[in-house]
Amino acid sequence: MTKTASVVIIGGGISGCAIAYNLAKKGVKDVVVVERSYLTSGATGRCGAGIRTQWGTERNCKLAKFSVDFFENANEILGYKRDIEFKQGGYLIVAATEKEVEQFKKNVELQNSLGIPSKYLSPQEAKEIVPHLDETKILGATFCELDGHLNPFHTTEAFAQAAERLGVEIMTFTEVVGIDVEGDKIKGVHTTKGYISTPIVVNAAGGYCRQIGDMVNVDIPTYSERHQILVTEPVEPMQEPMVMGFSLNIYTQQVPHGSFLIGRGDPTEPKDLRITSSWQFMEKMAKTACDLLPALGKLAVVRQWAGLYNMTADAQPIYGPVKEVEGFYLAVGFSGHGFMLGPATGQIMAEIILGEPTTIDVSDLDKDRFARGELVLEPSVV
Amino acid sequence: MRIEEHPILSFENEKRKKIKFIFDGKEYEGLEGDTIASALHAAGVKVLGHHYANNRPRGFYCAIGNCSSCLMTVDGEPNVRICVEELKEGMVVETQKGKGELK
Repeated sequence: MTKTASVVIIGGGISGCAIAYNLAKKGVKDVVVVERSYLTSGATGRCGAGIRTQWGTERNCKLAKFSVDFFENANEILGYKRDIEFKQGGYLIVAATEKEVEQFKKNVELQNSLGIPSKYLSPQEAKEIVPHLDETKILGATFCELDGHLNPFHTTEAFAQAAERLGVEIMTFTEVVGIDVEGDKIKGVHTTKGYISTPIVVNAAGGYCRQIGDMVNVDIPTYSERHQILVTEPVEPMQEPMVMGFSLNIYTQQVPHGSFLIGRGDPTEPKDLRITSSWQFMEKMAKTACDLLPALGKLAVVRQWAGLYNMTADAQPIYGPVKEVEGFYLAVGFSGHGFMLGPATGQIMAEIILGEPTTIDVSDLDKDRFARGELVLEPSVV
Repeated sequence: MRIEEHPILSFENEKRKKIKFIFDGKEYEGLEGDTIASALHAAGVKVLGHHYANNRPRGFYCAIGNCSSCLMTVDGEPNVRICVEELKEGMVVETQKGKGELK
Protein backbone atom coordinates (compact mmCIF):
# COMPACT_ATOMS: atom_id res chain seq x y z
CA MET A 1 0.00 0.00 0.00
CA THR A 2 1.41 3.38 -0.95
CA LYS A 3 0.33 6.64 0.54
CA THR A 4 1.40 10.23 0.53
CA ALA A 5 2.22 12.41 3.52
CA SER A 6 3.42 15.97 3.92
CA VAL A 7 5.53 15.04 6.97
CA VAL A 8 6.54 11.65 8.34
CA ILE A 9 7.65 11.68 11.98
CA ILE A 10 9.66 8.66 13.07
CA GLY A 11 9.14 7.87 16.75
CA GLY A 12 5.99 7.67 18.87
CA GLY A 13 7.38 9.10 22.09
CA ILE A 14 6.64 12.48 23.63
CA SER A 15 8.74 14.32 21.01
CA GLY A 16 7.16 12.68 17.98
CA CYS A 17 3.61 13.07 19.27
CA ALA A 18 4.17 16.68 20.36
CA ILE A 19 5.67 17.61 16.99
CA ALA A 20 2.76 15.97 15.17
CA TYR A 21 0.23 17.81 17.34
CA ASN A 22 1.89 21.19 16.79
CA LEU A 23 2.18 20.72 13.02
CA ALA A 24 -1.49 19.73 12.79
CA LYS A 25 -2.53 22.64 15.00
CA LYS A 26 -0.76 24.96 12.58
CA GLY A 27 -2.86 23.51 9.79
CA VAL A 28 -0.48 20.99 8.22
CA LYS A 29 -2.46 18.16 6.62
CA ASP A 30 -1.36 14.55 6.14
CA VAL A 31 1.08 14.25 9.04
CA VAL A 32 2.01 10.64 9.79
CA VAL A 33 3.73 9.33 12.92
CA VAL A 34 5.47 5.98 12.50
CA GLU A 35 6.24 4.03 15.66
CA ARG A 36 8.03 0.68 15.64
CA SER A 37 6.20 -0.58 18.74
CA TYR A 38 3.51 1.08 20.89
CA LEU A 39 3.41 4.77 21.85
CA THR A 40 5.87 5.49 24.73
CA SER A 41 7.61 2.14 24.19
CA GLY A 42 11.03 3.80 24.09
CA ALA A 43 12.62 6.27 26.48
CA THR A 44 9.39 8.21 27.12
CA GLY A 45 7.73 5.29 28.87
CA ARG A 46 10.92 4.36 30.69
CA CYS A 47 11.96 7.73 32.08
CA GLY A 48 11.74 9.17 35.58
CA ALA A 49 9.16 11.65 34.24
CA GLY A 50 10.31 14.61 36.27
CA ILE A 51 10.26 18.18 35.05
CA ARG A 52 12.49 20.86 36.45
CA THR A 53 13.17 24.47 35.64
CA GLN A 54 16.40 24.42 37.63
CA TRP A 55 18.98 24.32 34.86
CA GLY A 56 22.44 25.74 34.43
CA THR A 57 22.07 27.31 30.98
CA GLU A 58 19.70 30.07 30.01
CA ARG A 59 18.17 28.15 27.14
CA ASN A 60 17.46 24.99 29.12
CA CYS A 61 15.77 27.17 31.76
CA LYS A 62 13.62 28.76 29.06
CA LEU A 63 12.75 25.47 27.35
CA ALA A 64 11.81 23.93 30.70
CA LYS A 65 9.82 26.96 31.83
CA PHE A 66 7.89 26.85 28.56
CA SER A 67 7.15 23.18 29.17
CA VAL A 68 6.08 23.69 32.81
CA ASP A 69 3.69 26.45 31.75
CA PHE A 70 2.26 24.08 29.16
CA PHE A 71 1.95 21.10 31.52
CA GLU A 72 0.08 23.27 34.06
CA ASN A 73 -2.77 23.57 31.56
CA ALA A 74 -2.13 20.53 29.37
CA ASN A 75 -5.38 18.69 30.19
CA GLU A 76 -7.39 21.70 28.96
CA ILE A 77 -5.15 22.66 26.03
CA LEU A 78 -5.06 19.12 24.67
CA GLY A 79 -8.69 18.38 25.57
CA TYR A 80 -7.65 15.30 27.51
CA LYS A 81 -10.51 13.62 29.35
CA ARG A 82 -8.27 11.83 31.82
CA ASP A 83 -5.39 13.40 33.75
CA ILE A 84 -1.71 13.76 32.93
CA GLU A 85 -1.13 13.72 36.73
CA PHE A 86 1.08 16.80 36.90
CA LYS A 87 2.15 17.12 40.53
CA GLN A 88 4.19 20.21 41.34
CA GLY A 89 5.92 19.11 44.50
CA GLY A 90 9.12 20.85 43.50
CA TYR A 91 12.63 19.57 42.95
CA LEU A 92 15.11 19.50 45.80
CA ILE A 93 18.55 19.35 44.22
CA VAL A 94 21.20 18.57 46.81
CA ALA A 95 24.81 19.75 46.70
CA ALA A 96 27.39 17.37 48.13
CA THR A 97 30.61 19.07 47.00
CA GLU A 98 31.96 22.62 47.30
CA LYS A 99 31.99 22.81 43.52
CA GLU A 100 28.28 22.04 43.42
CA VAL A 101 27.55 24.65 46.09
CA GLU A 102 29.26 27.25 43.92
CA GLN A 103 27.54 26.08 40.73
CA PHE A 104 24.11 25.93 42.39
CA LYS A 105 24.41 29.49 43.69
CA LYS A 106 25.20 30.62 40.13
CA ASN A 107 22.31 28.53 38.78
CA VAL A 108 19.83 30.12 41.22
CA GLU A 109 20.96 33.59 40.17
CA LEU A 110 20.48 32.69 36.50
CA GLN A 111 17.13 31.03 37.15
CA ASN A 112 15.83 33.97 39.21
CA SER A 113 16.83 36.38 36.44
CA LEU A 114 14.60 34.33 34.08
CA GLY A 115 11.57 34.41 36.40
CA ILE A 116 12.14 30.97 37.91
CA PRO A 117 11.53 31.19 41.68
CA SER A 118 14.26 28.79 42.83
CA LYS A 119 16.14 29.37 46.08
CA TYR A 120 19.30 28.20 47.77
CA LEU A 121 18.80 26.30 51.05
CA SER A 122 20.95 25.18 53.97
CA PRO A 123 20.98 21.44 54.81
CA GLN A 124 18.60 22.20 57.73
CA GLU A 125 16.15 24.03 55.48
CA ALA A 126 16.31 21.15 52.99
CA LYS A 127 15.40 18.74 55.77
CA GLU A 128 12.32 20.78 56.57
CA ILE A 129 11.08 20.08 53.03
CA VAL A 130 12.11 16.41 53.03
CA PRO A 131 12.11 15.25 56.68
CA HIS A 132 13.58 11.80 55.95
CA LEU A 133 16.66 13.35 54.34
CA ASP A 134 20.01 12.75 56.07
CA GLU A 135 21.13 16.38 56.08
CA THR A 136 24.67 15.47 57.19
CA LYS A 137 25.29 14.03 53.71
CA ILE A 138 24.80 17.38 51.97
CA LEU A 139 26.32 20.86 52.01
CA GLY A 140 23.27 22.67 50.69
CA ALA A 141 20.43 22.41 48.23
CA THR A 142 18.28 24.33 45.81
CA PHE A 143 14.52 24.12 45.61
CA CYS A 144 11.95 25.29 43.10
CA GLU A 145 8.26 24.81 43.68
CA LEU A 146 7.38 24.97 39.96
CA ASP A 147 9.10 21.65 39.32
CA GLY A 148 7.47 18.28 39.65
CA HIS A 149 6.56 15.19 37.76
CA LEU A 150 3.81 13.77 35.63
CA ASN A 151 2.66 10.57 34.02
CA PRO A 152 4.55 10.01 30.75
CA PHE A 153 1.98 7.54 29.39
CA HIS A 154 -0.97 9.86 29.91
CA THR A 155 0.97 12.88 28.67
CA THR A 156 1.98 11.19 25.41
CA GLU A 157 -1.52 9.80 24.98
CA ALA A 158 -2.94 13.30 25.47
CA PHE A 159 -0.72 14.68 22.68
CA ALA A 160 -1.46 11.69 20.44
CA GLN A 161 -5.23 11.90 20.85
CA ALA A 162 -5.23 15.66 20.26
CA ALA A 163 -3.09 15.13 17.15
CA GLU A 164 -5.41 12.44 15.82
CA ARG A 165 -8.43 14.69 16.32
CA LEU A 166 -6.62 17.22 14.12
CA GLY A 167 -6.15 14.59 11.42
CA VAL A 168 -2.73 13.15 12.20
CA GLU A 169 -2.34 9.46 11.39
CA ILE A 170 -0.43 7.45 13.99
CA MET A 171 0.89 4.10 12.80
CA THR A 172 2.02 1.91 15.68
CA PHE A 173 3.80 -1.42 15.29
CA THR A 174 5.19 -0.07 12.04
CA GLU A 175 8.93 -0.04 11.55
CA VAL A 176 10.86 2.21 9.19
CA VAL A 177 13.13 -0.01 7.11
CA GLY A 178 14.50 2.51 4.63
CA ILE A 179 14.33 6.12 3.49
CA ASP A 180 14.51 7.15 -0.18
CA VAL A 181 16.68 10.14 -1.05
CA GLU A 182 16.93 11.53 -4.59
CA GLY A 183 19.38 14.29 -5.42
CA ASP A 184 19.87 15.08 -1.69
CA LYS A 185 16.13 15.41 -1.16
CA ILE A 186 13.85 13.20 0.90
CA LYS A 187 11.43 11.27 -1.32
CA GLY A 188 9.74 8.72 0.90
CA VAL A 189 9.84 6.21 3.72
CA HIS A 190 9.71 2.43 3.44
CA THR A 191 7.93 0.82 6.39
CA THR A 192 6.88 -2.69 7.29
CA LYS A 193 3.35 -1.57 6.38
CA GLY A 194 4.10 -0.06 3.00
CA TYR A 195 5.66 2.97 1.35
CA ILE A 196 4.90 6.56 2.32
CA SER A 197 5.82 9.21 -0.19
CA THR A 198 6.89 12.41 1.61
CA PRO A 199 9.21 15.41 1.20
CA ILE A 200 9.89 15.71 4.96
CA VAL A 201 11.09 13.22 7.56
CA VAL A 202 11.49 14.12 11.23
CA ASN A 203 13.83 11.89 13.17
CA ALA A 204 12.44 11.66 16.71
CA ALA A 205 13.61 8.10 17.27
CA GLY A 206 15.36 8.79 20.60
CA GLY A 207 17.88 6.08 21.42
CA TYR A 208 17.60 4.67 17.90
CA CYS A 209 18.04 7.95 16.01
CA ARG A 210 21.46 7.01 14.59
CA GLN A 211 19.99 3.97 12.87
CA ILE A 212 17.51 6.29 11.17
CA GLY A 213 20.36 8.68 10.30
CA ASP A 214 22.28 5.82 8.70
CA MET A 215 19.35 5.27 6.31
CA VAL A 216 20.07 8.65 4.71
CA ASN A 217 23.84 8.54 5.29
CA VAL A 218 23.74 11.27 7.91
CA ASP A 219 26.03 10.61 10.83
CA ILE A 220 24.32 11.90 13.97
CA PRO A 221 26.80 12.82 16.72
CA THR A 222 24.98 11.20 19.63
CA TYR A 223 25.33 7.92 21.44
CA SER A 224 22.83 5.87 23.40
CA GLU A 225 23.43 4.90 26.98
CA ARG A 226 21.46 2.61 29.24
CA HIS A 227 19.99 4.20 32.37
CA GLN A 228 18.14 2.15 34.95
CA ILE A 229 15.36 2.83 37.42
CA LEU A 230 13.94 0.80 40.27
CA VAL A 231 10.51 1.08 41.81
CA THR A 232 9.45 0.23 45.37
CA GLU A 233 6.22 -0.92 46.89
CA PRO A 234 3.77 1.90 47.59
CA VAL A 235 3.43 3.67 50.93
CA GLU A 236 1.35 6.65 52.03
CA PRO A 237 2.57 10.01 50.62
CA MET A 238 5.68 11.17 52.51
CA GLN A 239 7.88 12.94 49.95
CA GLU A 240 6.54 15.88 47.99
CA PRO A 241 9.51 16.90 45.82
CA MET A 242 11.80 15.00 43.53
CA VAL A 243 15.12 14.66 45.38
CA MET A 244 18.10 14.84 43.07
CA GLY A 245 21.86 14.91 43.43
CA PHE A 246 24.40 15.15 40.60
CA SER A 247 27.60 14.12 42.38
CA LEU A 248 25.64 11.73 44.62
CA ASN A 249 24.14 10.38 41.40
CA ILE A 250 20.52 9.88 42.36
CA TYR A 251 17.06 11.12 41.55
CA THR A 252 14.01 9.88 43.35
CA GLN A 253 10.36 10.80 43.46
CA GLN A 254 7.31 9.33 45.10
CA VAL A 255 4.64 8.96 42.41
CA PRO A 256 0.96 9.63 43.25
CA HIS A 257 0.37 5.89 43.58
CA GLY A 258 2.84 5.84 46.51
CA SER A 259 5.77 4.01 44.94
CA PHE A 260 9.25 5.52 44.88
CA LEU A 261 11.04 5.66 41.54
CA ILE A 262 14.81 5.77 42.05
CA GLY A 263 17.34 6.17 39.27
CA ARG A 264 20.90 7.19 38.45
CA GLY A 265 23.40 7.33 35.65
CA ASP A 266 26.52 5.20 35.30
CA PRO A 267 29.51 6.49 33.33
CA THR A 268 30.86 2.96 32.92
CA GLU A 269 27.81 1.79 30.95
CA PRO A 270 28.59 0.33 27.52
CA LYS A 271 27.51 2.63 24.70
CA ASP A 272 25.07 0.36 22.93
CA LEU A 273 21.37 -0.29 22.65
CA ARG A 274 20.87 -2.80 25.43
CA ILE A 275 18.00 -2.19 27.83
CA THR A 276 18.45 -5.19 30.09
CA SER A 277 18.50 -4.83 33.88
CA SER A 278 21.63 -5.39 35.95
CA TRP A 279 22.09 -6.46 39.57
CA GLN A 280 25.00 -4.03 39.88
CA PHE A 281 22.58 -1.15 39.43
CA MET A 282 20.25 -2.48 42.11
CA GLU A 283 23.09 -2.85 44.60
CA LYS A 284 24.65 0.57 44.04
CA MET A 285 21.35 2.40 43.67
CA ALA A 286 19.92 0.98 46.89
CA LYS A 287 23.05 1.98 48.79
CA THR A 288 23.00 5.55 47.47
CA ALA A 289 19.29 5.89 48.24
CA CYS A 290 19.64 4.54 51.78
CA ASP A 291 22.63 6.78 52.51
CA LEU A 292 20.76 9.94 51.55
CA LEU A 293 17.22 8.92 52.53
CA PRO A 294 17.65 6.20 55.20
CA ALA A 295 13.94 5.56 55.72
CA LEU A 296 13.67 4.15 52.19
CA GLY A 297 15.75 1.18 53.34
CA LYS A 298 12.61 -0.35 54.81
CA LEU A 299 10.87 -0.47 51.43
CA ALA A 300 10.87 -3.56 49.25
CA VAL A 301 11.89 -3.12 45.62
CA VAL A 302 9.17 -4.35 43.29
CA ARG A 303 11.09 -4.34 40.01
CA GLN A 304 13.56 -2.45 37.87
CA TRP A 305 13.87 -1.53 34.21
CA ALA A 306 16.08 0.34 31.80
CA GLY A 307 15.81 2.81 28.94
CA LEU A 308 18.12 4.70 26.64
CA TYR A 309 19.46 8.22 27.08
CA ASN A 310 20.45 9.61 23.70
CA MET A 311 23.51 11.62 24.70
CA THR A 312 25.26 14.53 23.05
CA ALA A 313 28.68 15.90 23.99
CA ASP A 314 27.13 18.96 25.66
CA ALA A 315 24.02 17.26 27.11
CA GLN A 316 21.71 19.48 25.06
CA PRO A 317 19.42 18.36 22.24
CA ILE A 318 19.93 18.65 18.50
CA TYR A 319 17.08 20.58 16.86
CA GLY A 320 16.55 21.36 13.21
CA PRO A 321 17.43 20.46 9.62
CA VAL A 322 20.68 18.94 8.37
CA LYS A 323 22.82 20.32 5.55
CA GLU A 324 23.37 16.96 3.84
CA VAL A 325 19.77 16.04 3.03
CA GLU A 326 16.96 18.47 2.31
CA GLY A 327 13.80 17.63 4.22
CA PHE A 328 15.51 15.64 6.98
CA TYR A 329 14.97 17.13 10.45
CA LEU A 330 16.35 16.11 13.82
CA ALA A 331 14.81 16.25 17.29
CA VAL A 332 17.31 14.00 19.04
CA GLY A 333 20.09 13.89 21.63
CA PHE A 334 17.97 14.94 24.59
CA SER A 335 20.50 13.46 27.00
CA GLY A 336 17.92 12.35 29.51
CA HIS A 337 15.56 15.31 29.49
CA GLY A 338 13.53 14.74 26.34
CA PHE A 339 10.33 14.00 28.20
CA MET A 340 10.28 17.21 30.19
CA LEU A 341 11.15 19.31 27.12
CA GLY A 342 8.39 17.64 25.07
CA PRO A 343 6.02 20.61 24.77
CA ALA A 344 8.87 22.96 23.81
CA THR A 345 10.22 20.39 21.32
CA GLY A 346 6.81 20.09 19.65
CA GLN A 347 6.33 23.83 19.35
CA ILE A 348 9.86 24.66 18.18
CA MET A 349 10.20 21.79 15.70
CA ALA A 350 6.87 22.69 14.09
CA GLU A 351 8.05 26.29 13.77
CA ILE A 352 11.39 25.24 12.27
CA ILE A 353 9.73 22.90 9.74
CA LEU A 354 7.31 25.64 8.66
CA GLY A 355 10.07 28.24 8.45
CA GLU A 356 8.52 30.40 11.16
CA PRO A 357 10.52 32.32 13.78
CA THR A 358 10.99 30.07 16.81
CA THR A 359 9.49 30.81 20.24
CA ILE A 360 12.88 30.14 21.82
CA ASP A 361 16.03 30.53 19.73
CA VAL A 362 17.65 27.15 19.18
CA SER A 363 19.57 27.97 16.02
CA ASP A 364 22.89 27.09 17.65
CA LEU A 365 21.60 23.66 18.70
CA ASP A 366 22.20 22.29 15.20
CA LYS A 367 23.94 19.01 14.46
CA ASP A 368 27.13 20.62 13.20
CA ARG A 369 27.93 22.54 16.41
CA PHE A 370 30.04 19.58 17.56
CA ALA A 371 32.12 19.58 14.37
CA ARG A 372 32.59 23.34 14.77
CA GLY A 373 33.54 22.86 18.42
CA GLU A 374 30.78 25.22 19.56
CA LEU A 375 29.36 23.25 22.44
CA VAL A 376 26.74 24.73 24.78
CA LEU A 377 27.63 22.79 27.90
CA GLU A 378 24.90 22.10 30.48
CA PRO A 379 26.51 21.61 33.90
CA SER A 380 23.47 20.22 35.73
CA VAL A 381 22.71 16.72 34.52
CA VAL A 382 22.40 13.25 36.04
CA MET B 1 -7.69 -23.78 64.14
CA ARG B 2 -4.78 -26.20 63.94
CA ILE B 3 -4.55 -29.73 62.58
CA GLU B 4 -4.22 -31.95 65.64
CA GLU B 5 -4.74 -35.30 63.96
CA HIS B 6 -3.58 -36.41 60.58
CA PRO B 7 -3.82 -39.84 58.81
CA ILE B 8 -0.11 -39.91 57.98
CA LEU B 9 1.72 -37.24 59.95
CA SER B 10 2.09 -37.52 63.69
CA PHE B 11 2.22 -34.47 65.95
CA GLU B 12 2.48 -36.43 69.21
CA ASN B 13 6.16 -35.90 69.87
CA GLU B 14 6.02 -32.29 68.86
CA LYS B 15 6.38 -29.93 71.81
CA ARG B 16 6.53 -26.45 70.42
CA LYS B 17 7.29 -23.51 72.68
CA LYS B 18 4.51 -20.96 73.08
CA ILE B 19 5.22 -17.45 71.81
CA LYS B 20 3.33 -14.38 72.99
CA PHE B 21 2.74 -11.40 70.74
CA ILE B 22 0.47 -8.36 70.49
CA PHE B 23 -2.03 -8.01 67.66
CA ASP B 24 -4.02 -4.79 67.41
CA GLY B 25 -3.47 -4.11 71.10
CA LYS B 26 -4.50 -7.55 72.35
CA GLU B 27 -2.22 -10.34 73.50
CA TYR B 28 -2.15 -13.50 71.37
CA GLU B 29 -0.26 -16.76 71.53
CA GLY B 30 1.40 -18.71 68.75
CA LEU B 31 3.81 -21.60 68.57
CA GLU B 32 7.50 -21.72 67.81
CA GLY B 33 7.93 -22.10 64.05
CA ASP B 34 4.75 -20.19 63.22
CA THR B 35 4.69 -17.36 60.78
CA ILE B 36 2.75 -14.36 62.03
CA ALA B 37 -0.06 -15.29 59.64
CA SER B 38 -0.22 -18.92 60.73
CA ALA B 39 -0.43 -17.87 64.37
CA LEU B 40 -3.23 -15.42 63.58
CA HIS B 41 -5.04 -18.00 61.45
CA ALA B 42 -4.82 -20.52 64.28
CA ALA B 43 -6.26 -17.90 66.61
CA GLY B 44 -9.22 -17.40 64.28
CA VAL B 45 -8.19 -14.09 62.73
CA LYS B 46 -9.42 -14.28 59.14
CA VAL B 47 -9.42 -10.67 58.00
CA LEU B 48 -5.84 -9.50 57.57
CA GLY B 49 -6.37 -6.15 55.91
CA HIS B 50 -8.53 -4.10 53.61
CA HIS B 51 -8.05 -3.04 50.02
CA TYR B 52 -6.47 0.42 50.00
CA ALA B 53 -9.01 1.85 47.53
CA ASN B 54 -12.35 0.03 47.89
CA ASN B 55 -11.86 -1.10 51.51
CA ARG B 56 -13.01 -4.69 50.93
CA PRO B 57 -11.58 -7.19 53.43
CA ARG B 58 -8.58 -9.26 52.38
CA GLY B 59 -7.77 -12.66 53.85
CA PHE B 60 -5.01 -15.25 53.96
CA TYR B 61 -4.38 -15.88 50.28
CA CYS B 62 -1.12 -16.92 48.60
CA ALA B 63 0.77 -17.70 51.83
CA ILE B 64 4.13 -17.46 50.05
CA GLY B 65 4.84 -13.73 50.16
CA ASN B 66 3.66 -12.80 46.68
CA CYS B 67 0.13 -11.46 46.76
CA SER B 68 0.20 -8.49 49.21
CA SER B 69 -3.05 -9.67 50.78
CA CYS B 70 -1.57 -9.95 54.27
CA LEU B 71 0.57 -6.81 54.57
CA MET B 72 0.73 -5.55 58.14
CA THR B 73 2.78 -3.17 60.24
CA VAL B 74 5.16 -5.15 62.44
CA ASP B 75 7.18 -3.40 65.15
CA GLY B 76 6.53 -0.12 63.31
CA GLU B 77 7.64 -1.35 59.91
CA PRO B 78 4.90 -1.15 57.26
CA ASN B 79 4.07 -3.64 54.51
CA VAL B 80 5.48 -6.73 56.22
CA ARG B 81 4.35 -9.94 54.48
CA ILE B 82 3.19 -11.70 57.59
CA CYS B 83 2.70 -15.04 55.81
CA VAL B 84 6.46 -15.40 55.44
CA GLU B 85 7.60 -13.50 58.54
CA GLU B 86 8.55 -15.74 61.46
CA LEU B 87 6.76 -15.05 64.71
CA LYS B 88 8.97 -13.80 67.52
CA GLU B 89 8.32 -13.22 71.24
CA GLY B 90 6.85 -9.81 71.99
CA MET B 91 6.21 -8.73 68.41
CA VAL B 92 3.76 -5.85 68.00
CA VAL B 93 1.60 -6.54 64.95
CA GLU B 94 -0.98 -4.09 63.64
CA THR B 95 -3.41 -4.25 60.74
CA GLN B 96 -2.64 -1.60 58.24
CA LYS B 97 -4.84 1.16 56.89
CA GLY B 98 -4.13 2.35 53.38
CA LYS B 99 -0.69 1.75 51.97
CA GLY B 100 1.27 1.82 55.19
CA GLU B 101 3.21 4.68 56.66
CA LEU B 102 6.97 4.77 56.58
CA LYS B 103 8.36 6.46 59.67
